[in-house]
Amino acid sequence: MWDIFCRVIDNHGDLGVCWRLSADLAQRGHQVRLWVDDASALRWMAPLGVQGVNVFDWNDCLALDTVGDVVVEGFGCELPQTVQARIAERPRTVWLNLEYLSAEEFVERSHGLPSPVMRGAAQGLTKHFFYPGFTPKTGGLLREADVLTRQHAFDPNAWRRSQGLPDDKDALWVSLFCYEPAGLLALLQSLATASRPVRVLATAGRAQQALAHAVQKLGWQDALPDQLHIHPLPYLSQTDYDHLLWSCQLNCVRGEDSLVRALWAGQALVWHIYPQEDKAHHVKLDAFLDWLQAPASLRDFHHAWNGMSTPKALAVDLKTWQACIQAARERLLAQQSLLEQLLEFVSGQHNAK
Amino acid sequence: MKTAQEIRVGNVIMHGKDPMVVLRTEYQRGGRGSSTVRMKLKSLIANFGTEVVFRADDKMDQVILDKKECTYSYFADPMYVCMDTEFNQYEVEASNMGDALNYLEDGMQLEVVFYDEKAISVELPTTVVREITWTEPAVKGDTSGKVMKPAKIATGFEVAVPLFVAQGDKIEVDTRTGEYRKRV
Repeated sequence: MWDIFCRVIDNHGDLGVCWRLSADLAQRGHQVRLWVDDASALRWMAPLGVQGVNVFDWNDCLALDTVGDVVVEGFGCELPQTVQARIAERPRTVWLNLEYLSAEEFVERSHGLPSPVMRGAAQGLTKHFFYPGFTPKTGGLLREADVLTRQHAFDPNAWRRSQGLPDDKDALWVSLFCYEPAGLLALLQSLATASRPVRVLATAGRAQQALAHAVQKLGWQDALPDQLHIHPLPYLSQTDYDHLLWSCQLNCVRGEDSLVRALWAGQALVWHIYPQEDKAHHVKLDAFLDWLQAPASLRDFHHAWNGMSTPKALAVDLKTWQACIQAARERLLAQQSLLEQLLEFVSGQHNAK
Repeated sequence: MKTAQEIRVGNVIMHGKDPMVVLRTEYQRGGRGSSTVRMKLKSLIANFGTEVVFRADDKMDQVILDKKECTYSYFADPMYVCMDTEFNQYEVEASNMGDALNYLEDGMQLEVVFYDEKAISVELPTTVVREITWTEPAVKGDTSGKVMKPAKIATGFEVAVPLFVAQGDKIEVDTRTGEYRKRV
């Protein structure tokens, strides 16, 4: 039994990762209790649920009788003292903190390190920090065993039809999942002059709002340029979000979970990194671009997209970018997935207890 | 009580039943405003070390140790010898010196830290002034301080300095971060 704890901070990324981890565990035969303070997004993120994953309200954990064999706190969400007391009562429980994804070098140095608990009901116990990452010395990335097989068998035209989208095989299909990227206007202007029709599939929420704002700023609210078509999408399940990524030639993604999914999709991608105070995200973005071995055009685009340089005419070089992403995907596929590593780590900790 | 991000090299914290001196800290910004601190620790009573990681705001008790103002005297492998104003000598193991070795020079003022009356580490002033022993030639006219180049001080420790800093210049270095602060 696994207990996974998640607090939703602002968007859907924390819950998205915790749900994906829970579902991946359940599909490998583990029982999971997911404790979350706001599970409302699961209604569209995972409408069918997964057998083996039970979702509970965070407050219910205060009355928890016993914890599972493994306790995962997602992204340093602090566990209530009552839960920590239950962990202390069950010495064989392995306690992990699943950290944020980063390509920075410190991740290799910090992955798997113990963290002695100095205060509270669990004082004297040790939890471990598990860092996702892009290199073999990190915890890896979430990747279901069959993700590439499913992608291979996927029919993008059929999926688009199922979503009520036009059957336009000649178009450049672009998915848009972002906050408010600095380079959005420049990208739209660039796409409007493309040599073929461009169809932007805008995900629900902030991406659609940012897009509407950009369209208004460009004075296109009454009529879009001929080549440009915008299709607002409803909130998509994680499964359908994968389908969206597989259906597009350029994927604009944001945060953590969608970046990983776009890497598995293997199409050209642009990442809108979560903006942080004092611009800590600039270092993180550059670390990712370094790992990605991003060509200059992709690096420049990312800097403009994320407001690190002045957005000008943003040229999209699909062929070069896709080759870069696919090479990165190959490097990742040669490594163990996050879940495989996590299971090994937990097994090692159990054996040591 | 302190938070993990307030713990400095040379501080001592309890790890289980062992008092552990902090040899190195690495502060890292995580996602969404969260931060972590990685620490390299060494036991003061047993011959073992370990690395740990904390959330930056994790609370912990710092073991308050006796300190004495001293002057660094000489190195007698593997011990660094310091002397107080009454000419008492105290030996600190090289492996407990941590980042202090980056700035150590004869006659340097520092604090020797004691646990159970045994000298176990040293703490440096927050800033020290050191002469640049090597760097690429200075670039005249660039006083912005935004573009940096590598430079070395007498210990061989490398500091990033602005382009206008020249070999032979004296600079102030922050011993907590190893960063250049200003030309003196």
